[in-house]
Amino acid sequence: MIDIAGILMSNMSYLILITLGGALISWSVHFVPVGGAPAAMAQATGIGTGTVQLAAGAGLTGLVTAGAMMQVTDNMALIIASGAVGAMIMISVTMMVGALVYTYGVGCPPASAKVKYDPITKDRQDLYVSQGTEGHGLPTVSFVSGVIGGALGGFGGAVIYYSLMSIENGLPLVDLVGIASVFAVGIFFVNSVIPSYNIGGTIEGFHDPKFKRFPKAVISSLIATFVCAILAVLSIGGL
Amino acid sequence: MEPLTGMGVLALMGAAATIAGASEDLESDIGSQSNPNSQVQLAPQMMYPHRIYSKAISGEPPSNALMCAIGGTVASVLISINTSAILALVIGSIIAAAIHGTYSVTAYFGRSASQKRFKQPVYLDLIRSHTPVIIGYSFITTFCILVVSYLMVTVMAHPFSLPLLAFIWGIAVGAIGSSTGDVHYGAERQFQNVEYGSGLNAANSGNIVRKAESGLRNGIDNSWFCAKFGGPVTGLAFGMTVFLSGWITALFDPSKGDSIGWVSVIAGVIIVLSLILWNRSIEVAARAAYGTYKEDEVDVEVAA
Repeated sequence: MIDIAGILMSNMSYLILITLGGALISWSVHFVPVGGAPAAMAQATGIGTGTVQLAAGAGLTGLVTAGAMMQVTDNMALIIASGAVGAMIMISVTMMVGALVYTYGVGCPPASAKVKYDPITKDRQDLYVSQGTEGHGLPTVSFVSGVIGGALGGFGGAVIYYSLMSIENGLPLVDLVGIASVFAVGIFFVNSVIPSYNIGGTIEGFHDPKFKRFPKAVISSLIATFVCAILAVLSIGGL
Repeated sequence: MEPLTGMGVLALMGAAATIAGASEDLESDIGSQSNPNSQVQLAPQMMYPHRIYSKAISGEPPSNALMCAIGGTVASVLISINTSAILALVIGSIIAAAIHGTYSVTAYFGRSASQKRFKQPVYLDLIRSHTPVIIGYSFITTFCILVVSYLMVTVMAHPFSLPLLAFIWGIAVGAIGSSTGDVHYGAERQFQNVEYGSGLNAANSGNIVRKAESGLRNGIDNSWFCAKFGGPVTGLAFGMTVFLSGWITALFDPSKGDSIGWVSVIAGVIIVLSLILWNRSIEVAARAAYGTYKEDEVDVEVAA
């Protein structure tokens, strides 16, 4: 018989860390400038793909780098930082190449339709929005917001992976890595999906009015991740 | 591992990832998958029936992740029974590509048949001409992703299993293809009938180009066009992601001490900062080259 209360009590700190990691991912998704299908037709500012897809792509790349780092060190801060850096690299490369396509493939300059002036560069935005669109490309503010989102997502994913790997269990290392990584990927997806209800297809970054809705998603994620964390801790701790 | 060996393996992974990115984007262009598919589906409803292969199996990341995870799982099983690694990766990729081809055909039939009320024909010759090309491209993508994942597991000693790494890189290549190359197809190729140099005016939604350089336009025509820019830049993006995320730890090996590990983190941050500056320079150059779409109201008043 598995001592459910005992496993949960002895891993309480990891349970809390996993839950906080999930909430961090949920918050991070709001920073990622995604324009969904309209952005693929240069009809909206941001990257031309879905929220979940890009956040997961960046965060999971961070998970790969965090996993590699955890193989050689047990320094928690270093593992988490490397997860954040992996995700930042993926999202910045994607946004930069996306900017190349918008500029040289489609022929339109980056412009935001949500603000008149870019909060970072102070560049005028509305004059550069082409007719019948809600902006296009990635102005500097969206790019920086995306980098922050990638960093937080990678950070959250790495915290979850580190916590799952640290749960007391009787598994051989190779099996522990397998089950911990699958749980980490699963929890990542849960927390990428929840904010998409807030975002509703498009968001330009932290300067977008929709960004202010993030507390609802973060609270929902805290609840959802807590349930996932209990399952993960019991599954891994009980083996 | 010797740093030189690590860099060599990383270069090979980067090259495989570049090919995977390019083939992934061209495969999605032929089948018109992902976000630009919204216009292909909308066209018949706006009375523009077309001859373009429409297969929205799912978003690109899940579809590529499925393909790569199937390939990785088959390859893992074969390697565990002592099959040669190359053969295992090839067989895994063939099975994954065949399954992707099956989904493509059912997706095309489903999408087109459901638009019968808008007089959208189902072209059987499109199935015969396009599906083998889709399978071919998906084989190349899966094989290259499996090569990247296999090298990470065996040479770089990554703790994740081959199918899981293939799954994660499948998600990443789909996300990158959907974010970069697809814009070239969706915003430019589909709307070459409007003046170059602007986003799609919402009023033109669904009015996609249906005539080709010769005859009616199909998916292979789109792939031909996107192979000039959208495909290669997608390859560049995915290659850079795989290469740069591994390069920082290959150069500054964290196994030699935590301080070197922190240097690798700083190197990563410097790369990201330089990409922010690069994006800014593209933004400034684009604004200077293309100018504004409308005049400032204040300027107009002064001129009057």
